[in-house]
Parts: sequence; structure tokens; C-alpha cells
Amino acid sequence: MTSEFINKVRNQEIDIAEHTEKALEKVKRIDSEYHYMNTISEDLAREGAKHVKAIGEGVLAGTAVSIKDCICVKGVESTAGSKILEGYRPVFDATVVQRIKKEGGIIIGKTAQDEFGFGSFSVNVGIGKETPLNPLDKERVCGGSSGGSAGLVRKADFPHISLAESTGGSIVAPASFCGVVGLCPTYGRVSRHGLIDYANSLDKIGPIAKTTMQAALMLEIIAGHDPDESTSLKRPVDPYTDHVGRDIKGMKLGVIRRAFGEGTDDEVTRKVKDAISRLEDAGAEAHEVSLPMASEYAVPCYYLIAMCETSTNLAKLCGMRYGRHESLEGGFNEYFSKVRELNFGKEAKRRIILGTFARMAGCRDAYYIKALKVRSRIIQEYKKTLKQMDVLVSPTMPFTAPRFRDVEKLTPLQNYMSDILTAGPNVAGLPHISIPCGKAGGMPAGLMAIGDHLQESKLIQLGSALE
Amino acid sequence: MAGEKFTSDVVIGLEIHAEMATQSKLFCGCSTHGTDEPNTRTCEVCLGMPGSKPVLNRKAVDFALKLCLALNCRIAPQLVFSRKSYFYPDMAKNYQISQYEIPLGKKGSLKLKSGKEVGITRVHIEEDPAALVHPSGMERSTYVLVDYNRSGDPLCEIVTDPELESPSEARDFMKQLITVLNYLSIFDINRCIIKADCNVSIKESGYVRAEIKNVTGFKEIERALKYEVERQKKEVHEGNSLKQETRAWDPDLGITRPMRTKEVEEEYGYILDPDLTVIDITDEMVSAVEQDMPELAESKIEKYVKEYNLKKEDAEILSQEKLLADLFEKVAEEIDPVLAAKWLRRELVRVLNYSKKKLAEIELDERHLIDLLKLVEEKKITETTGQNLIEKLLQEPFDVKEYVENQGLAAVSDKGELEKFCKEAVEENPKAVEDLKQGNENSLNFLVGQVMRKTKGKAVPKEVNEILRKLVG
Repeated sequence: MTSEFINKVRNQEIDIAEHTEKALEKVKRIDSEYHYMNTISEDLAREGAKHVKAIGEGVLAGTAVSIKDCICVKGVESTAGSKILEGYRPVFDATVVQRIKKEGGIIIGKTAQDEFGFGSFSVNVGIGKETPLNPLDKERVCGGSSGGSAGLVRKADFPHISLAESTGGSIVAPASFCGVVGLCPTYGRVSRHGLIDYANSLDKIGPIAKTTMQAALMLEIIAGHDPDESTSLKRPVDPYTDHVGRDIKGMKLGVIRRAFGEGTDDEVTRKVKDAISRLEDAGAEAHEVSLPMASEYAVPCYYLIAMCETSTNLAKLCGMRYGRHESLEGGFNEYFSKVRELNFGKEAKRRIILGTFARMAGCRDAYYIKALKVRSRIIQEYKKTLKQMDVLVSPTMPFTAPRFRDVEKLTPLQNYMSDILTAGPNVAGLPHISIPCGKAGGMPAGLMAIGDHLQESKLIQLGSALE
Repeated sequence: MAGEKFTSDVVIGLEIHAEMATQSKLFCGCSTHGTDEPNTRTCEVCLGMPGSKPVLNRKAVDFALKLCLALNCRIAPQLVFSRKSYFYPDMAKNYQISQYEIPLGKKGSLKLKSGKEVGITRVHIEEDPAALVHPSGMERSTYVLVDYNRSGDPLCEIVTDPELESPSEARDFMKQLITVLNYLSIFDINRCIIKADCNVSIKESGYVRAEIKNVTGFKEIERALKYEVERQKKEVHEGNSLKQETRAWDPDLGITRPMRTKEVEEEYGYILDPDLTVIDITDEMVSAVEQDMPELAESKIEKYVKEYNLKKEDAEILSQEKLLADLFEKVAEEIDPVLAAKWLRRELVRVLNYSKKKLAEIELDERHLIDLLKLVEEKKITETTGQNLIEKLLQEPFDVKEYVENQGLAAVSDKGELEKFCKEAVEENPKAVEDLKQGNENSLNFLVGQVMRKTKGKAVPKEVNEILRKLVG
């Protein structure tokens, strides 16, 4: 239990400097086998441990925290998993990192991910990076895009929480595949200041942890208004940890019908239904709901908006101010093209091309503008359903972690369709959580619960009830 | 053909970029001015570093709202920013945060000196790119340096309807616009840059449009347009057909040269900027800005002519600069406005022009100026003394009344004393007196000059004149 550990650190019963050295050794060992880390920040971790030892304070005192590579840590290479950002050491800490440091969290490094978050399996890593392996079966994927975070949370046997990020399901998908808890907050609840953008109107930072309690603890620290980020919400933060273990009697669960039908693995369906039964036994009421707009259009809507935004975000990466440089030859057009051609991975190039196309005059109204309109409709549909239900439940992913060789066979479109269950809440900016609910065919299955905007507490309540 | 709706010989439309004089940049806290050491007024936001996020400077919005109101624009209900994407080395992010679908203001107008109203298509806010520095000139440099000090400075873009009919009208439009910007105190002529992209076409070609990029200063705009109109006429005259294109203005050679042919509209792939929230422009916001609006030049001119009986020309000159107009109004509270106008317009402006200074740059206590003009008004000093004192006053402040007293500069108004000097002059210059008697008026001027010398310029020439005539008979 983390809180016991934190108390011991505060009381100096644990020598945090020594403990951190051991943790770093373990991370290195795990990483050499499973490739969860893009950078291990040993110096920063030691510095943090020294500081915690000296002051013995903080809600996280001494807890190791790994940070997804796309979140800026001052002075530590932050590449969002891409070769093009090799050598980029931010001159500032992301707001979430500042808050974690302030509460005595010890930052141990940057976790592996699909390049810029472009994937659901963490197989689209940047050029020269290694692919993270599933902690339960090395033949299988970790899930993405926050694969390194979920894998390390599962493997680490010392107190540790990871900070992940989701644009279309990148927190809950890997959490589900690795059998851990992933909590993606409401859009705007956690400041994005310091997050290397994938798609700004969709990006959310949130925790991956072993338990709901730990995820709630981390969210409590990182949530809240930030004047340095315009889309950050001003509403006060709920005391999330108070909701752990609270009775769920009378909680209304909207069971998303379509999520259990065609396309979802039978055994996954069974495990999630079992979990719903357990929640009913604990006093929750289950009702079937259907979300035709979200089921049908969330995936295309998500990909259009995300690609349009990302194709502008990635424009700045051209070998001029930071990251990879190439030899200077020709005009700026040739130079920019060369840097981008040599250092972006294949999926990044695909999304830049698709996104640029979808916002060009002539296509813009039919794709980009239409996707924005569809997004409003999807939000309306969720809000209406969530007036009657406390949370919506479904499997997190329609299947368990696939084998690498099976993922290789997927077409880009099949790849994108694996987000069918997670795209909806992400497009609508709704908080969602993935809770492990047993194994299907030997691999973890996850139950996803979606709440209304800013109703993270209900998800925490439900998550802890399932545990 | 695009030009079917036009009838005039020349059609000109301007896209003007004016830098707004806020303290900090549009989306970060970096200063807009101060040290010119390259790349020192920068941070992760204006350098476009991954992870950085823009935060809107609300002051810039107020400034732009002021301009929209002054130009009689319809104000948008919401403030929406878009990303304008294109790759260029002066772009920190390779997109510019600008406004696209919904500009802050549209359908406005600005009156020219001639009274003609020119339509304003739109007014919007955007960020300035960085500055490109060509170490050995644009043509010869083999590389270019980038200075991000300017990156992220707040700009206002003002687009006119294609209603200007000559280069001189375009020049006057710029002049009137600068006057408005100056009045609103949202533009600092000493440090802020104003430039225009000029669209111009002529009837003979069927209005095939050329766009001259980035012309700085209103005189240059007129020059560039004049050249371009002549060039287009010559091409048509020689039987060449014009093509729609973008051209660059070379102020050293005084010519425009082709940059690229514009076959289609540029492709900027606009999307909404998802890092910035949409802000409602409430009635409260607008009325707060309205309350802060100064009286503009146009209404001052009217007031000066009607209430102060000034000539229109004087009224126009005095109201061209807010500082001068404010000074004039203060002076006119205590001095006859016509006299005040004459002295400010002629003497003050003359001395300023001569010393190549702006009113804002000098330390002038309006009390001293009022004292001085009062002495003139009451004929306690002569006009010549007044002129000398103004020159001195614009160099350094001093107590005029005290100075006049201490230096004995008061006009000789004692008739007896003045007569004494005149008699002396008549006695000392018998030849001139004789000539005057013969009707040579130049001799009178000579004699007046002698008296003025004796009084060290403290006599009123008109009075001396009268006395001398009497004496000579």
C-alpha cells in the first residue's frame, strides 16, 4: 500500500535515497527486458530523493513517478517518442511535473510510447526506439499509446505511479492490456501546459497506477486550474481519494449495448458482464443504453479532428530550433523536407498527410468542419444519456492484448477501428477509467466506465468497488 | 473576370499590418520592446517550443476593439483564433495564430481628407512572425539569421475594400489611419511598424491584380503604387498581357519585381486554434472600451472650425496628432483660440520640424507655453521675442514670465521712450529720411530696423512704423 510507504518515508523509517537507488536498478533491469523507458533520469531521481529526505514532506513523498515521454521535464530529454525531437531538453517543467515535484514525487524517467501518441498498441515507436513488450507475455503488445507507462506500472514492485496521456484512448487501452488502472480525466481538468501536443482539443494527462486509490491520489495532485493553460478549467478539484471505497448502492450503470456485440471478443464480453454482475451485487443498478451517434461516428470524427490538429502541431518540427538537425543544404524548403523525411516515422507521415488534406480548401468543409459538427452531436448524445445514468460501462478494448504478429497484419483502417470503444468518451472530453476485471484467455481484460464531465469521483467510487 | 464590377481607372485595396503598442507580446509575457540584442526577448512560447502553450494578452484585444470602434466596424460576438499554416523560416511554429472565419470587426469605414468614405472589409488580430536578417543584403546573402524578438508581437490587420482610386488616395488613407491609431494610443509611431500589402489593377488590363508585398511607410506606399500603375499601363500599351502575381517593392531602386505567380489563392489550411478558448465579446466588454475612447480627429476638426472659428486647414493640422490637439485645447482655454492655433501651427510645428523632433520627445510644460502666448496676446512681448522664446522653450523648460522680466525682454510700450529711439534713428540717417520723403518705402523698413536694433527687438514694429511716419511727415 502506497500510503504506508509514504508515511514511512516521511518518518524517515525508510531511507529514501537508498530506496531510490534500488528502484532505479530495478527500472533499468525491467527496461532492458521490456523497453518501457525512453530515458531514465537517474540524476533527477537522486536529486529528488535527496530533497525528500531533507524535508520529509509531500503527499507523494518518495513515490517513484514515471512520466510519458510527451510530457516535458526540465532538462530531461523529452521526445514524445520521436527521433525528430532527439536532444530536446525542455527549459521548463510541465505544470503536472511541477506539482508532482512539489509533493515529493521522484521522477525516474520518460516512458515509451507510440510516436506522438499515434497508435493503440505502442508498435508505432519512433525511428531507432524499441517497442515495449507486454509484461505478461512478451509476444504481445502493451497497448498504446502510453504502453511504457502501463507496462512499468505492472512490472514495478516498488511504490510507483505513472503519468500517461490520452488523445483517443491512450490511457485506458494500455491499462486494460497490462491489467492495471488507467484514469483519464475530463478535458481541461488537468493542465496541458508542458504537454507535447498530439491533438490539443483532445489531449488529456492522467495517471496509470496499480490501484484506483493510487490513481485518485495522483489525479488529486495534478488536477486544477493553471493560468498558463487557456483550456484549463477553473472549477475546484474534488477530494478524489475520499471516494475510494464508498458505497455504490443505487448507482445507475448504463451498459452500452453495441459494445458487447459483434467485434468484441466473447471471453472479454463474459468477463466484463461478470464484473457488472458483481457491481449489481454491491447495490448498483444496470440498465442497457445505446449511443448510436458515438458508436457509428466517434472513430472517424476522432481521427479527422486529431489529424487536422496534429498536422499543424508537427509543422514546427523542422530541424531549426531544437531536436534533430541535418546538414544544411539547399533552400529552407529542401532542408525542412529532409529533416522531416528522415526523422518522422511512417504513421506520423501518414497522419500529417491525411490531416493536411482534410483541412485544405475544398476538403475543409466536408471533413474538418463536418467532424466538428459531429463532435457536438456526440457530446449531446452522451450528456443526454448521462442525465439518466451515473456512469456508462463497456469493455475498455474489444479484445485482450494481441500478438505482435497479428498486429502486423492489420491495415491502417483496422488499426484505427480498435479505438471503437475509447474514441467516444475522448471525443466528448468525458472522464473514463479502465479497471482490470479478470483474465480472458490468459490475458487481462478491462472494464471501462465513463462519467459525465467532472464526475471523476463516481469513476473512482466504482473502480474501488470492483477491486 | 474578377474586375467586372470596377469602373475607375485604377483600383487599389490595402491589407495593412499595424503593430499594437502593448507592453507584452500577444501570447506570452515577453516584452515587445527594450533591448535589441537578438533573441533576448524570447521564451518557450514565442520560440514555439514543444510543450509551450499560448495565453492571450487581453490588453491587445482591448486595443483592437478600440480600433474596430473607431473604424465603425461591426464587432463579432465571439473572439476566435485560427491557425494559418505555412512553412517559412520566420515562423516559430510554422503556423501563425490569426483570425479567419470570424474577424474581430468587419464592414467598417474610414473617411479620407476629401470626405470620401473608404470601406473596411475586416479588422483582425494576429501574431507577428520573427525577423529575418540577411547579413549581406537580401540578394547576396548565402544564409539568413532569425531574430525572434519580434516573434509573437501583437498585430492588427486592416483590410480595405478595393475602393481607393489612386496612389495618392492610398497615401491619404494610410495617413488618416495612422492618425486614428495615434489618437487611440494603441500604436507607438516611434517603435511600432506599420506596413501594407497593396493590391492594384488598372482598367486597361481588365483589372488584372498585382499584389505588392510588405511596403513600409505611407510615402513608400504611394511611391510603390505609382510605379506599379505606370508599369501596368506600359505593359498593356506595349501589347503585353498582365498576369495575376505577387511582387516585391525595392525602395532603393524604386521598382517592383515579380515574386511568384498567383494561379490560385494560397492554401493555408486554416483550423481553429485548439489551444485558445473561444471568448464571448460581451456588451460590457465593448462598452468598457467605448468609455475609454478619446474624441477622434474628425470630430475635433469640426469642433475647431465651429466653436473656435479656426480655418479648416489649421484645424486639420492641429488635430493630426493627438498630443498636439490636446496641447492646443489646453492653450485655447486661456488664449484666443485663433492666436493659439496660429502659434502652435506655425511656430511650434516649425521649430519641431526644424529640430527634427516630435512633440512626444520634448519636455514641454504647457504652463510655460500658455504664459508665453499670454505675453504675446497682451502685447507685452513682441512676436520676434515670442518666436525666440518658443525656440528656447522647446530646448529646455524654463519659467517664461521670470525670464522675460530678468532679461528685460518686455516690449517697449512706453510711447515716450519709443519716440526717443525713433528720433535718434531719424537724426542718424538723414539719407534714408530723404529717400522716404521721396516715397521710397524700403527706407521706412530700414529705419524700422534701426529702431528695432536699438530696442533689442522689444518694440512692436507696427507702432514704430506709425511713429516714424509721423516724424518724417
